[in-house]
Amino acid sequence: MNTTSTVKVAIVSFAHSHALSYAYTLAAMPGVEVLAADPDGASAPDLSPRGAELAARIGIDYVDDYDALFAWQPDAVIVASENSRHRELVERAATAGVHVLCEKPLATTVADGRAMVDACARAGVILMLAYPVRFSPSFRALQGLVADDRLGDLFAINGTNNGKLPIDSRRWFADAELAGGGAIVDHVVHCADLIDAITGGSRADSVYAVSNRILHADKDIDVETGGLVTVTYPGGLIATIDCSWSQPDAAATWGGLSLQVTGTGGSALIEPFAEHVAGTGSDGPIHLGYGTNLDELLLTEFIAAVRQSGSPRPGSSPRVVPQPDGSVGLRTLEIMDAARRSAAEGRPVTIAAG
Amino acid sequence: MYAAAGTANDPFPVVGLIGAGAISRVHAPAWKALGARVLVYSERGAAELAARYDLEVVTTLDALLREVDFVDIVTPTTTHRDFALAAITARKHVVCEKPLAMTPADSGEIAAAAAKAGVQVYPAHVVRFTAPYATAHQAVADGRIGEVAVARFHRGGSSPAIGTWFQDDAASGGIIMDLMIHDLDQARWICGDVETVYAVQNPPTVDNVVPSFVSAHVTLTHAGGAISHVRATWGAVGTPFTTGFSIAGSVGVLNYSSSANSGLTLDLQQVSPDLVIPASPLRESPYLTEIREFAAAFAGGAEPRVSAADGVTAVELAQAARMSLATASVIVMSEFAASTEAAA
Repeated sequence: MNTTSTVKVAIVSFAHSHALSYAYTLAAMPGVEVLAADPDGASAPDLSPRGAELAARIGIDYVDDYDALFAWQPDAVIVASENSRHRELVERAATAGVHVLCEKPLATTVADGRAMVDACARAGVILMLAYPVRFSPSFRALQGLVADDRLGDLFAINGTNNGKLPIDSRRWFADAELAGGGAIVDHVVHCADLIDAITGGSRADSVYAVSNRILHADKDIDVETGGLVTVTYPGGLIATIDCSWSQPDAAATWGGLSLQVTGTGGSALIEPFAEHVAGTGSDGPIHLGYGTNLDELLLTEFIAAVRQSGSPRPGSSPRVVPQPDGSVGLRTLEIMDAARRSAAEGRPVTIAAG
Repeated sequence: MYAAAGTANDPFPVVGLIGAGAISRVHAPAWKALGARVLVYSERGAAELAARYDLEVVTTLDALLREVDFVDIVTPTTTHRDFALAAITARKHVVCEKPLAMTPADSGEIAAAAAKAGVQVYPAHVVRFTAPYATAHQAVADGRIGEVAVARFHRGGSSPAIGTWFQDDAASGGIIMDLMIHDLDQARWICGDVETVYAVQNPPTVDNVVPSFVSAHVTLTHAGGAISHVRATWGAVGTPFTTGFSIAGSVGVLNYSSSANSGLTLDLQQVSPDLVIPASPLRESPYLTEIREFAAAFAGGAEPRVSAADGVTAVELAQAARMSLATASVIVMSEFAASTEAAA
C-alpha cells in the first residue's frame, strides 16, 4: 500500500460517543473510505440515535452486523464498543489481519488487555490506543520542556480529568459490567497516558485510590462517581489524578483535563481544553472552545501508519508502530485496575512485576 | 479578669510576644494595629523587631510573664510546648503559632493544661481567617454545593528550605508539618472529620534531612463520606507562592486559585525581595483579623473560629500523614489518636 492509496476504515460500534467524532473526521479525510456497524445500538437504553439512523445523520455508509463489516475487508478498524466488548472485537480484527485503533481503556481487565496485545502481536497488526490528549499542542510543548531539561528532575505530578456524568447519551458508562467501573475507569487513563509519555513508558510501582458515590447520588448509579488516585513510579515520582465526574450538569462545557508537572527547575501546567471564549447568553454561560481537533491528529497518525505498514505480516511487527501502542494501553490499564482494587480494599496496591 | 479590649477607660491589655523570627513580623504589627502595648522576649532579634514595630524588649521570660495579660508564641515549633505551659502556669491566655506543638501528645498537654487552668489557648491557623477560604467554608456550610464529595487543596512556591532549619526534620516536621498543616486543617474544616490518611512524598526525607525541592500528596477520607487530596510543594527557586482549592459537591463546585483571583496584577521592572509571607494589598491582613478575633475572645467575647482542639487535631493529622509515609500504609485516625494518647 503506498502513501496515497485509499484506506478502508471500519467503525465497530457507536457505543462510545467518541465514535461520532471519529466518523465525522474520517468522512472528511481524503483517501479514506468509511463503513460502520452498530448492531448493539438498537438494544441500548439510550435516547439518542444509534445504528443506521446515526450513520445516516453523520453521512457514512452502514451495514447491520459485524459479519458484513468484516466481509467488506477493511484495512483498519476503530473499536468503539462498550469497554468490556473491546477484547472480542479486537481479537476478531487481529484474526482477520486488520489494523486496530481501540477506544480507551484498552479493556476492563488486565487479562483481557494482555490477550489483546498478544493477539495483535501474533497477527502483526497495529494496535493503537485512542488517547488523543497526548497529541495536543500544549502537551507537545510540555514534552519539549521536559526533553530540553527545562523543568529539571521531575518529582511530582498532579492531574485532573473532571467531566460531566456521561450517561445522558450513553447509559453504559455507568454500567459496572459493560464499562468495568465508573469515574476511575473513565478518567484515570488519559492522565496516566500523558505521564506514561513523559516518563518514557515507566510502569507504575504502586497505586492508592479512594472513591465515593456522592456526586450524582440522585441518578440511580451503581458505580463510583468521585475518585482520587495516587500513583508512585520507579525512582520515586508521585502523581495524583482526580478522575471525578464532578463537572456539574449546569456547567457550560463537558469538563476538562489538567496536568501540572513539577521539577527541581520549575513547574508547568497544561490545560489542553482550556482554549475558549467565555460569555453569557440568555440561557446561561457560553463556552466557545477553539482548541485543536485532537481526534483529527490522532486519526491522521493512525491512518498514516496503516498506509505505511500495508498488509500485516503475522509474527512480525508492523512497519510503523504508532504511539500510544498496546503496551501503553496495558500499562495504563494496570494503573486503572490497581486503582479500582485499591479503592475497594482501602489500601495501596502494588503492581506486580512480570 | 480582663478588661474589654481597647476602650478609652480600659486600655488594651499588654501582650507578650515570645520570638522574633519571620512570623513575628506579621503578628507584631497586628497587635500594634489593635492598640496593644507589646513586650518582646527572644533569644535573637528582639531589639531589631522592637525598633521596627515600637515594641519593648524584656530579657527574661519571667519578666515578660510578670507584666503581660496575653502571650503570643511565635518561636520554632519544638519550643511551643514549654513556652505555652509556662504561660498557662502564669494564668495568661495564649496565642500560639501553628503547629500548636510537634506531637499530638505535646499539643494535647497544652490544651489540657489550659482547660485545667481556665485560660484560653488558640493556635494561629491563619488560613481560616483568609477571605477565600472563609468564604468557601461559609458557602459549604450554607449548602451552596450540597454535600461535599471530592475536594482538592494545594499550597506551594519557591522553596524556603534551602540551607535553613526547615530542612531539619526534627525541628520543622518537614513540609507536611510546616506547610501542609494549613490545608490539612482546611480539609477537615470544610469536608468534616478525618477517618483515614494516606501520604506520599518525593523525594523522601532521609537521615532527618528534608529535601530542598519536595512535594507531598495526602489523601483523606472524611466521616461524611467525602474524599480529599492535599498537596504541598517546595518548588524551584522563583516559583510564585500559590494556593488553591476545588471543592465538588452533590449540586455544585467551588474553585479558587490565588494566581487567578488577585484583583491586582503588577508587572514591575524591579522585583521585590522574597516575600516569605504572602500578603494582599487589597484587604486587611488575615493575621490582623485573626488576632482581633483572639483578643476579643480573651476579653470575654465570642469563641474564635479555631480552637485549641482544632490545633491538636491538625497536629494529629500531620503526624498521621508522616506515619503513613514511614509505614507506606493507610492510617486510621481513630486508632492513631488512641495510640498517641496511650503514648502520652
